[in-house]
Amino acid sequence: MLTFRTGQLEKSPPKRLDTASIDRSLVPPCQAACPLHMSIREYIDLVAQGRIMEALQVIRDDNPFPSVCAFICNHACEDKCRRSQVDDPVSIRALKRFAVEFGGDRMVQLTAETTKKESIGVVGSGPAGLACAYYLRKLGYPVTVFEAQPEVGGMLRIGIPQYRLPPAVLDTEVRRLSSLGVEFKTNCRVNSLGNLFEQGFKAIFVTIGAQQSRRLGVPGDDLQGVVDAITFLREVNLGLKPVIGEKVVVVGGGNVAMDAARTALRLGARTVNLVCLESRPEMPAFKADIHEAVDEGVILNCSWGVKQLCGDKTVNEIQLKRCSAVFDAQKRFNPVYDESITTALPVDTVITAIGQSPQIPEDFHLRIGRGSTIQIDPVTLNTNQTGVFAGGDAVTGPSTVVQALATGRLAAIRIDDFIQRKYPRPAEEEIKSLIGELSAQTIEYIKKIHRHEPPVRDPQARIKEFQPVENVYNWEEAINEARRCLRCGAGAEVTFQDKCATCLTCLRDCPYKVPVLDSRGTLQISADQCQACGICTAQCPAKAISLRKPYFRRTIEDELEHIGRTKNANNLKPLIIGFCCQYGLFGTGILSALWRSTKAGIAFVPALCVASVEADHLLRAFEIGAEGVFIAGCGDECARQNTTFWVNDQIKRVQKVLKEVGLENNRLQFYAPQNKTENPADWLDGFANQIGSLYLNSLIKEETRRDSR
Amino acid sequence: MIVAEQKPLPEIRQMIAPYKRILILGCGTCMTVCDAGGEREVTFMDNALRLMQARDNKDFHEYSEFTVKRQCDPEFMDILLEKVKDFDAVLSMGCGIGVQTVAEKLDIPVLPGLNTSFMGASQEQGVWDERCSACGDCRLDDTAGICPVTRCTKGILNGPCAGVKNEKCEANKEINCAWVLIYKRLEKTGQLDKIRREYPMRNFRAIPRPRRLTKTSAGGISHG
Repeated sequence: MLTFRTGQLEKSPPKRLDTASIDRSLVPPCQAACPLHMSIREYIDLVAQGRIMEALQVIRDDNPFPSVCAFICNHACEDKCRRSQVDDPVSIRALKRFAVEFGGDRMVQLTAETTKKESIGVVGSGPAGLACAYYLRKLGYPVTVFEAQPEVGGMLRIGIPQYRLPPAVLDTEVRRLSSLGVEFKTNCRVNSLGNLFEQGFKAIFVTIGAQQSRRLGVPGDDLQGVVDAITFLREVNLGLKPVIGEKVVVVGGGNVAMDAARTALRLGARTVNLVCLESRPEMPAFKADIHEAVDEGVILNCSWGVKQLCGDKTVNEIQLKRCSAVFDAQKRFNPVYDESITTALPVDTVITAIGQSPQIPEDFHLRIGRGSTIQIDPVTLNTNQTGVFAGGDAVTGPSTVVQALATGRLAAIRIDDFIQRKYPRPAEEEIKSLIGELSAQTIEYIKKIHRHEPPVRDPQARIKEFQPVENVYNWEEAINEARRCLRCGAGAEVTFQDKCATCLTCLRDCPYKVPVLDSRGTLQISADQCQACGICTAQCPAKAISLRKPYFRRTIEDELEHIGRTKNANNLKPLIIGFCCQYGLFGTGILSALWRSTKAGIAFVPALCVASVEADHLLRAFEIGAEGVFIAGCGDECARQNTTFWVNDQIKRVQKVLKEVGLENNRLQFYAPQNKTENPADWLDGFANQIGSLYLNSLIKEETRRDSR
Repeated sequence: MIVAEQKPLPEIRQMIAPYKRILILGCGTCMTVCDAGGEREVTFMDNALRLMQARDNKDFHEYSEFTVKRQCDPEFMDILLEKVKDFDAVLSMGCGIGVQTVAEKLDIPVLPGLNTSFMGASQEQGVWDERCSACGDCRLDDTAGICPVTRCTKGILNGPCAGVKNEKCEANKEINCAWVLIYKRLEKTGQLDKIRREYPMRNFRAIPRPRRLTKTSAGGISHG
């Protein structure tokens, strides 16, 4: 009710006194699922707008090593993506990789001042250790990282094959850490924590991972030619070129087994058989990994257990027995074998990948719990020794990279709490509320656009080398994929209930039928269902509705003011102002041409959706001196239906005013390309010509009027 | 609900010509719902007037916007009393009732920005139909909830007349004959006997204008 707008033409433009700039959005499921709680919705939207560097900035804010995650994250976010209720989840990891590869090392902040004097030691340079070091540096602590291996990176370096994470990517991230001021001590195995304290470290973060492979425990597992996967992968990654035979059998069904099998192929193994207890759907490895391994020629032998390994000194046969069930009724690992069904495979090399456990040096004097892991306080991450914190695989057992990064970040915060004697505070994400499920009705109204998987290289070509399997999206693919995001939790809400006259305009206009009247007759816009198209915010006659989180750099009003000032400074005539969909425009290849072929005198205003451009924005454009105004949408490429209808509605209203003012109707036009091949620049040229001649006409009319006076 | 439409811009321009500083005053109730004078329309009017003067290059006015919940209650005007010192005139985007209430309260000219049309109902988004004439003597029980006073072009109480053709009115072939509608609906609801009733004559002159409705004992204000 109480908006007060004042000012005259050349003064400051009208500003809306609402809360449009305040983020009232709910936490989307992707963000909640991510151990790092990355602002996924935000960066996906920035990618969709073609603002890739800004997207990368958002990614870097939440993730110390975005390029590592871009290559090998297990993307829990995609599993929870609500788009999967409509068609398929948004390809979040691949989009992150696009942003990371697009931006590279540009605009990276590499400064961290040492503001604290307490130095911190990090034992182990895996993802958890590196993340902890990164955030401790950001907090101003001097940090030293100790690594037993010759190279920094822990499992990222020695456990993950190079075709999944190119070493150059890891090198870049480690270099960034060095330039932040983190000190690395490689080839330096820590044997005693007390020693570190004596050297002056005030707190220690133990993150030595889980690198001890389990043994098979069957006859013959000590024969030559039997190697555990961790050792095998480490040797390959450190360039030691281990010798393998032609016939390789990998035992295990997890991700490490997949890595080992695919690495063996790349080292030249003729056949690679994979033997695992689990049936194919039960296999713990990621589905995409299994799929890629099979494409490359790995033969899966599911539901088999190893009976024994045979051979004289060197292994030459592996005998298998049928595994009838892996888990018992309590879902615990308890395999049952059917000894009557057996088979055998000839073999030169057996690689075992049946799980790893941490190996904690006794001299650390840490309390050890189940599965040889370090026992810690789940909130403070403190061990039984004061000042010693622990995290990563050494605490949880084998887990994911992103989980390790999250633990590292938390450890840095907790170590800071410890040094500064602060009470540990809960994470911010725990306070915010989460978004619910999509309803069947909303799903029905959402346009189905299927996921575009990033292209993968040909299996026969890729097993010849250690280059990445997956290619990066190109510009157009990335933007189209990012546009599939439903912007969960950022939708419209009746911000000013006292203004709402319950006129039902939003209820009638919403393309997804989200606003409803509740049983008391009050209008409700469900945050769970809204897709944040912004149509209702433009249509609401009381201006009572706003988006919980607006996605534009500047409001349309600010953008117009900016154009007005530029125009006055440069005296551009005739001026043409175009309102364009901020998604279609920048990259889909349809409207990008329009943007790129911008000529002097043509200004663009990006809009959340062309249907959310209000009639008074169009009037304002004419008022600041535009001779012609157009709205450009994506036509059939639009993710919503009926946007054209709303645009035409606004155009008709404004054309009526133009007539009353004495301006021609065709000074305001709507443009939507008919097909993908149409070049919008051609249309724009035509429009500019039309406006040019109208402008000349009006000048002549003006002259005659002046003369006749 | 009261339905109105915006006056043509040139007419408004003429009205405001003598005044420099103008407050465009919106109404947050009926005028918001009928898309004529809500906060969005106030901005629209503001921008349209600014555009007009930017193009004409003469008669510069200063425009300000303000929207109150309802213009037809004098208390809402109290919040305007302070602000109104800065203005030479108010362009009210309220219905005729609003314009008058504002004018009674303020000592500066109050100009109507809208033409108040009728009391009506929304058919769909952006379409309104007249439904009531506020005759003060409601007979909708006899006419199956369809008002012949409003919806019959002649307003006759014992219809239909002889002008009905194909169920349409002779005055406007787009309009359904109200009495045909009444007949059909009486039939549908099993009250067809009501059509046989003879309606007593109505005395239109008996209603003194302007009317006043007093629901409390404090009805002592004199008619304005």
